[in-house]
Amino acid sequence: MALKFYLLNPLIAFLLGAREVGFIFFKTLMTCLKGPHRIREVIQYMYSIGVGSLPIITISTAFAGFVVTSELAHQMDTALHTVEMLPGFSGQFVFRELGIVIPALLLVSKVGAATTAEVGSMKVTEQIDALRLLQIDPIEYLVYPRFVASIIVITCLTLISIFVTLVVAIAVAVLKYNFAVLEYTNALTHFVANKDLVCALVKGMVFGAVVPVISCYYGFNCSGGAEGVGNATTNSVVTSTIIVIILDFVLTFAFSLVL
Amino acid sequence: MKVLANFFHQIGGMFLFARQVKRTWLCTLGSNTPLVIEQVGSVGLRSISTVCFAGFFVGAILVIQLQLMLAQYDASAMLGGLNTSACIREVGPLIISFLLAGKVGAYTTAELGTMRVTEQIDAIRCLGTNPLQYLVVPRFVAIVVSSLLLLVFGLLIGLFGSMVVASWLYNINPLQYLQSVPRFCGGWTVFCGVAKSAVYGTIVASVSTYKGYNASGGAKGVGVAVTECAVYTNLLIVFANTFMSILLDGMHEIFTMVVG
Repeated sequence: MALKFYLLNPLIAFLLGAREVGFIFFKTLMTCLKGPHRIREVIQYMYSIGVGSLPIITISTAFAGFVVTSELAHQMDTALHTVEMLPGFSGQFVFRELGIVIPALLLVSKVGAATTAEVGSMKVTEQIDALRLLQIDPIEYLVYPRFVASIIVITCLTLISIFVTLVVAIAVAVLKYNFAVLEYTNALTHFVANKDLVCALVKGMVFGAVVPVISCYYGFNCSGGAEGVGNATTNSVVTSTIIVIILDFVLTFAFSLVL
Repeated sequence: MKVLANFFHQIGGMFLFARQVKRTWLCTLGSNTPLVIEQVGSVGLRSISTVCFAGFFVGAILVIQLQLMLAQYDASAMLGGLNTSACIREVGPLIISFLLAGKVGAYTTAELGTMRVTEQIDAIRCLGTNPLQYLVVPRFVAIVVSSLLLLVFGLLIGLFGSMVVASWLYNINPLQYLQSVPRFCGGWTVFCGVAKSAVYGTIVASVSTYKGYNASGGAKGVGVAVTECAVYTNLLIVFANTFMSILLDGMHEIFTMVVG
């Protein structure tokens, strides 16, 4: 009995939810195949996701770049008693992990929460039923524009954050550890190749595709008034964060095999 | 400019609120222990599975990345130590507290915010109870305590996860992995991790209670408060991360100077 309550029921709920998410994802992809439409909504969401998140992402990745570079230098100092490999290590770390995951997690908590709250309050005020009555497919009207916009925008934001983090990492290396700028960029060209950039962009696109689908799923499935919207928002942020972390693990492993 | 002014306005309000909460807590010390314990239980139990998951995968990701780098230098023997050090000092607390901001912070903001906009907080005050004492202090203390516990637990799981992944994917003997840990992680590393976790927990607690307690504008206002809570918590955690790193480095230097 206890087994059923604690293990089986959550598992079934999880599988049903996964099926629903897959369904929404599939329908969104089918909508994408119809060719570009609803350009105005897409641009509007691109503006609200991208421009709204730009300051927070720039600032946080700059700070994160500072900390991680100093941290790597510290570790190298304890491990190897030298910091000469700092440029290669920190550059690689920025390109492969840091510049991608930190903005993705921030976007989850900013964009994902906002999306779930918006779609959820539409759901509990029966606006989604109204859309259906008007023969507008809610997935086409609500999910598809966010999907396209967030894929484009998160890819761009990943590039921006990699750039910002790299600039800060170079600044730390130059000011604190007396590297020359050219020395750093030289090491960077040895350790970072175009394939790393491709990995970063693919990861960014995957995260961008996952976040709106999951947050819209939680929005569509919320019930119980304002409190329900709050619960759905919390669940959506947590699930998206975990899925981003897991996908990051899977993609990192896949790329480490392929490249 | 307006955005910046608003940001500082919020930070200032938050500090004042946290000070008020601290004062209420000190005035009523011990009188609401059962409430605090109840809250610690509910916050901790609600988030423990998520934290375990996140900790495991954070450790796993770090292992893959570090192994890619270290393999170039033929230094896989140091994987355990470097990975544990990075996980405990830096990446672990950061990412797990991002998660806690979403889970614990958003929940608390939504709960307190709903109480505020449905005027339950005013009702509590009408009944002669101090809402700060009854609602906010237990939550604040509980979030600080339980996120410290959760973060420490998550870091342990992260250590375990990285060991599992290292032995599974890269055939590194778990014992060999563990053997290299003490070379890089002393008591100071653990202290850094725990200190950072405590600070992040305090940030989550103060932002979420402040945002929830001061929500306004109906159901939509609660939604706005929840989103703002997540954003502010993450921003402040990133700031605090930098600040704590500098501070702890400075302390370490002074410490080694005094001892050595």
